[in-house]
Amino acid sequence: MKKTTFITFLALIIFSLSTATLAAPVFAVSDGDRLDRLEQELLRLKKENERLKDRLGQIETLTNQHEAAEASQDHHNSTKQNELLERIEIVESEAEESRYNLLAGLVNISGYADIEYGITDSKSESNGFRLHHLSLFFKKDIQEKWKLFSEIEFEDAPLVDTDRSSNTVKEAHGKILAEQLYVEYQPMLDLDLRFGRFITPAGYWNIFHYNPYVPTQVKPMMIKTVFPKSSDGIQLRKSFSIAGSLLNTHLYVVNGRGNNGFGDKNQNRAVGARINYSPDILDRIDIGVSFYGEKDNDKVRRNSYSVHLRGEYDNLALLTEYATRDNNPGAGLTDYSDTSWFAEAQYDIGKWTLAGRYDWYDKNDSKTDAVHKRYTGALNYHFAHNVIGKVEYHKNKFDDPTDEDYYQFISSIVIAIGDL
Amino acid sequence: MLKRLYIVAILVTFSLASFTVSYAAEPVAVIVHNDNAATNINNNMLKKMYVNNILKWPGGAPVILYDLSVESAARSLFSRRILGKTPSKVAQEWAHKKITNQAINPPHTVKSQRLVIRRVSKNKGAIGYVSLKNAEGNPNVRILATLK
Repeated sequence: MKKTTFITFLALIIFSLSTATLAAPVFAVSDGDRLDRLEQELLRLKKENERLKDRLGQIETLTNQHEAAEASQDHHNSTKQNELLERIEIVESEAEESRYNLLAGLVNISGYADIEYGITDSKSESNGFRLHHLSLFFKKDIQEKWKLFSEIEFEDAPLVDTDRSSNTVKEAHGKILAEQLYVEYQPMLDLDLRFGRFITPAGYWNIFHYNPYVPTQVKPMMIKTVFPKSSDGIQLRKSFSIAGSLLNTHLYVVNGRGNNGFGDKNQNRAVGARINYSPDILDRIDIGVSFYGEKDNDKVRRNSYSVHLRGEYDNLALLTEYATRDNNPGAGLTDYSDTSWFAEAQYDIGKWTLAGRYDWYDKNDSKTDAVHKRYTGALNYHFAHNVIGKVEYHKNKFDDPTDEDYYQFISSIVIAIGDL
Repeated sequence: MLKRLYIVAILVTFSLASFTVSYAAEPVAVIVHNDNAATNINNNMLKKMYVNNILKWPGGAPVILYDLSVESAARSLFSRRILGKTPSKVAQEWAHKKITNQAINPPHTVKSQRLVIRRVSKNKGAIGYVSLKNAEGNPNVRILATLK
């Protein structure tokens, strides 16, 4: 027997035997058994399906819980974040205030400065730049109800230069002065007492005269003439709030004019009073009267009186003041009065302010030609609330033919300094 | 001729600057301390307080005023609606009163609205204003009026 024939034969036997072995159970199981098996398999599959459904449900529930937890966490985080931001904002603001308070703990410095360029045809004045004011205010809160205030003014860039060897003054110009220097006691909002040098509470412009907040650099002629600009002594202010209107009163006793803070050169104290009423009409009305009486160092009895009226409506402000002073030299000399009044209109248009003023001053009513008139027009531009540019024109006319009329044109930049 | 040129130059310089006016969009709430007995306040009364014509509450407590900074939109709305002026103009007036020491009860200016709320919540006589959304639902202060 060939080897190939033998292998073929052996393969056929193995194949036949294996076929018979595999086919035997199939042919041996009945149809009922097969159905039972299929039913069991179906049942198993159903159970598996239910188990998977349950699992899926559990997963969904867990997912929802997780999402809810995440959302809650987000909300919580967001709330915490807002709270933190709020705290940061408050702390930052308080820190900023603390910085000011820290400085204020030392001393609060503010003030103003102005630089002008003037053109005039007056023979007594010249054209050019003028470093007019550097005025510094120092305020120190000593206690809750006590404070110290001073205003030191440097006018026209002052200089005092001395020769070291001889101790003599080589060069001096400009002016340095303590315009205000007082201690204030304010036990309550509507009452305060001041001791020292203060702006004389008379009229309106004399008090509210600071260059960043008035339309012109040139002041009305009654300032420093009929009433003194500042006074040394004691002042009481009491305010009364009456049905929404304010009555502001000042009473003061001072050394009087010509006395320089070193004491009174005479035994007569000057006395003064001011009443200002702000009734509840229009946008704002101020109406007031002032008095100042003294017997000065030359023993001249001088009594000054004034009335002022200021009204605001919308963008328009009107101010007028009338002031007169009776001068009684005595000893057979002629009594006389000096009198002044002005009317001023001011209109705001956005950052612009337009102003006009008529100013009249009779320096001696016993003479017929002592009147000085001034016509003023001004335009201001507020670059910011503390930076103002001004241009103003003044035409001065004199009744006295020996005084020549002249004009002034002034442009200026005025800066308010510090946290006012 | 030179003088005329100078005058023209000055006027032109000033004219180059533009008018800028900003207006607030959000309503503003006037807030007081929770223990404040006042139940409402009208614009006229508010103005009197903020110009110092009224210095005390009806119960006698001194009024403590709070302002926001000049740049604040809420202050812009408050100033225009209540005081009839721009915040800048009002700031100038207070500055002038402070310089001359004629400011009887000037407002405390605070930059942060939350700080205004905080300060008002701590002072019985305090009154201030913040945007309505910041005041609404805040348990520490009471809204006395709203401005739109």
